[in-house]
Amino acid sequence: MVQTDLLVDLKGILPEERMVEEEGEIHPLGNGGKITVYPDSEEEIAKILRYANTHGKKISIVGGGTKRGFGGGNESADILLSLANMNGIVEHTVGDMTLTVKAGTPFKDLQNALAAHNQKIALDVNWPGDATIGGVIAANDSGPKRLGYGSSRDAVIGLRVIYPDGTIIRTGGKVVKNVAGYDMNKLFIGSMGTLGVISEVTLKLRPLPKYESLVLLHFPNGDLQEIRSFAIKVLDSMLEPVALELLNPLLAEKLTGHHQYTLAISFEDNESSVHYQEEFIHKIQPEKSQIDILSQNKARAFWDQFYQIAPNGAAEFTDTQSIEAALKIGVVNLDVLNVLREVQLLQDSHPISILAHGGLGHGLCQVIVKGSSEEVLSAIQWLRNSVERMGGYVVVKHLPLILRQKIEVWGKKPSHFFLLEGIKNKIDPNGILNQGRFVGGI
Amino acid sequence: MAERRIQSDDKHIQNLAAIVGGEHSILYHKEDLIAYDCDGFTLHKHLPKAVVFPKNTEEVAKLVKYCSDNQLPFLARGAGTGLSGGAIPINGEVIISLVRMKRLLNVDLENRRAVVEPGYVNLKLTNSISDKGYYYAPDPSSQYCCTIGGNVAENAGGAHCLKYGVTTNHILGLEVVLPNGEIIEIGKNGILDTPGYDLLGLLTGSEGTLGIVTKIIVRILKKPEAKQTILAYFDKVSDGSQAVSDIISAGIVPAALEMMDKIAIEGVEAAAFPVGHPKDIEAMLLIEVDGISAGINDQINQILDLCKKRNVREVKVAQNEQESNRWWANRKTGFGAMGAISPDYLVQDGVIPRSKLPEVLDRIQKVSEEYGLRIANIFHAGDGNLHPLVLFDARIPGESEKALKAGSACLKVCADAGGTITGEHGVGIEKKEEMRFVFTDEEIMAQTNIREVFNPNNLLNAGKLFPTPARCVEIKKERKVSHERRKVGTT
Repeated sequence: MVQTDLLVDLKGILPEERMVEEEGEIHPLGNGGKITVYPDSEEEIAKILRYANTHGKKISIVGGGTKRGFGGGNESADILLSLANMNGIVEHTVGDMTLTVKAGTPFKDLQNALAAHNQKIALDVNWPGDATIGGVIAANDSGPKRLGYGSSRDAVIGLRVIYPDGTIIRTGGKVVKNVAGYDMNKLFIGSMGTLGVISEVTLKLRPLPKYESLVLLHFPNGDLQEIRSFAIKVLDSMLEPVALELLNPLLAEKLTGHHQYTLAISFEDNESSVHYQEEFIHKIQPEKSQIDILSQNKARAFWDQFYQIAPNGAAEFTDTQSIEAALKIGVVNLDVLNVLREVQLLQDSHPISILAHGGLGHGLCQVIVKGSSEEVLSAIQWLRNSVERMGGYVVVKHLPLILRQKIEVWGKKPSHFFLLEGIKNKIDPNGILNQGRFVGGI
Repeated sequence: MAERRIQSDDKHIQNLAAIVGGEHSILYHKEDLIAYDCDGFTLHKHLPKAVVFPKNTEEVAKLVKYCSDNQLPFLARGAGTGLSGGAIPINGEVIISLVRMKRLLNVDLENRRAVVEPGYVNLKLTNSISDKGYYYAPDPSSQYCCTIGGNVAENAGGAHCLKYGVTTNHILGLEVVLPNGEIIEIGKNGILDTPGYDLLGLLTGSEGTLGIVTKIIVRILKKPEAKQTILAYFDKVSDGSQAVSDIISAGIVPAALEMMDKIAIEGVEAAAFPVGHPKDIEAMLLIEVDGISAGINDQINQILDLCKKRNVREVKVAQNEQESNRWWANRKTGFGAMGAISPDYLVQDGVIPRSKLPEVLDRIQKVSEEYGLRIANIFHAGDGNLHPLVLFDARIPGESEKALKAGSACLKVCADAGGTITGEHGVGIEKKEEMRFVFTDEEIMAQTNIREVFNPNNLLNAGKLFPTPARCVEIKKERKVSHERRKVGTT
């Protein structure tokens, strides 16, 4: 009814059972499509893109949908291209520790399959059960263990990408070290699907740690200066934590039961090394701090819970008065303490609740704000002002569409925006892919 | 100080000199320019129009703007240690040498970062922070003289990138002069994931074709508490290579895992840093593990066991730092050491899936037989980065050309095994045509399209990295081999 022509055209490309017309109300997070298509091959994706490119149609791309509230000011494109059917491992070369996988594969499925070989993708991401590897890379998601293992930038060694004109491009390769030509992988990591559709990903893997533990250090007097001194001591020691994450009291309460600033220090190595490091922390812990050590399964359980605190764009939308926003904040490493201080000030003076954490060794924070629309928007503005004064940035990772339309999701355009725009125009001159989803409305 | 006059009628020379402050900061006489006619890749040479030595970003920007406004081709150069010809002025470029921009601008230990100018020498950074227990991880073998700006351009690697990654994994921010003279900052303040396409990642390894880097924010690391080096000798290459796989599969991530074959060992033992490797073994592994001292013995014992299971003839742990340093000096000067057993050599830089090593070495042996040239192999075995060294004698007519062909054939072997044509030396002018071994025309065009965004007039380092569309004639001309000895190679 809605889009008869579009439907007829698409039927020439893929069977009807792999198309769904949007019905009912607009999705509160936007970024939908009048027709959702489920291609199951690169050829089909290429055909859909070529069709859209020549017929002036707009395409939105979706994997697991966890990041549906991330960027974009549109309710709906013409076509919502789902990668759900692009699922499965293409090649796992155990001896080379490399993995090639279709982009729509859920992250957790991959980790489970790799665990059988004592290997893993060294990324810790939100909602691993729902998020797809393609989405993780397109949005450059990462977690606290980035300190020890790096991000998608470090893990991705090759991609297959379908350009808006239907050309299939390979970037990188299947080897772990490669400087042939430009490092085109980087262009697509974090590009929010605005340049091409990632159809296949090759990653370098890491061994599963032989042993792991999580040291939780609670600071009852909430003295951020004391936490700072302690963190510097850890960073300046020979310890090799894979995460050194500061949790605000509200988040610590949710995860540990202690309403106190808490440092989550993660160790992954062989058993003797891990115990030695735990012991070291124990020796240097500040006088009034309280220590809890979670080993193996208990540590893993903590992190499993941790990766589910952010709002999930794929979750059933419940119509409540309360709005939830998720922010990604980047600052110079130790400024994370200042971000958490700002969070506390904000929380103390406004009727909102904020869960926040940040990595003292890498400078990235995740801040989840809950409250009325008005309060949430003003909290974002407040935080952005203070973070920009620190030289950092605030990106809104999750927010309902109607509120996204009222703010700059990505903050101010950088002064070299013309280069970003130039790249977009070269690759997607008709602006068919995820239009408006990225920096400066790209 | 009285300024000497510029002895040239060329108005461009005079104007360029005026930008950098006169005669002391420019070379334009032929006899001065000869030193800049090539870099570490010496098989192709061309004189630059001039070499200028700016002192700061503003001067670089002015030079670039001048060149751009006057349609003068130009390129940036660091220490000139590059092995693929990226800094060779094949179009008679104005060379913007960054060696006078060599300051360490800032060290912030608490936030684990340092800010350097592009001409700052790689090893100096580690030396200047090592007393506090910190270091800069990327360690190309030329690190005692190569510049961090050059490392960024080439995305340089090194023996220890197995565990710690290559240059791109350690760059947090850049100040860049674009080919039109505009100055931009990317990765501002060295903060991770600044919004926008990842220009930082794109610029790193772009071989000086997208912009000129004038300031670099790098990540610095805390030195590991403990470090141990292991040396293992094998009678069969397949055993050595299987041991490598076993170590990695056991979940050990060594800091470095290096291999040399019989001819390479013959070379290093005849050169300046012999350590007494047996002459009759087929493969040698040099393994370094580091980390928390409490855990390191477990790793060592496991590695020793794994080597024994693969019929190792002898395996030993360095007794002290001196011994370990001797082993490393022997390995790190491996390329140059070939000069002790051959008048000339050509180094290649393929990468293969680690597990394919035995079959790739067999095929390289066939290349060697086919061309009648000995080929030594030095191998970053942990990450599959293979350096075949083709030994030849340039005094014998036709042998240089044969060596080039044999080198290219080695890269074809790597590409066919699912690998790539360069792991750390870059494409430059040397491997332009070999890009076709790994990329289709569309994929190459996707890359040149990106270059057009940054460098639309292609005045900055033109003719590098990508194969020329009109293949045959120009390439043959370009590949005309000069009868110069190769410089001592590095990496």
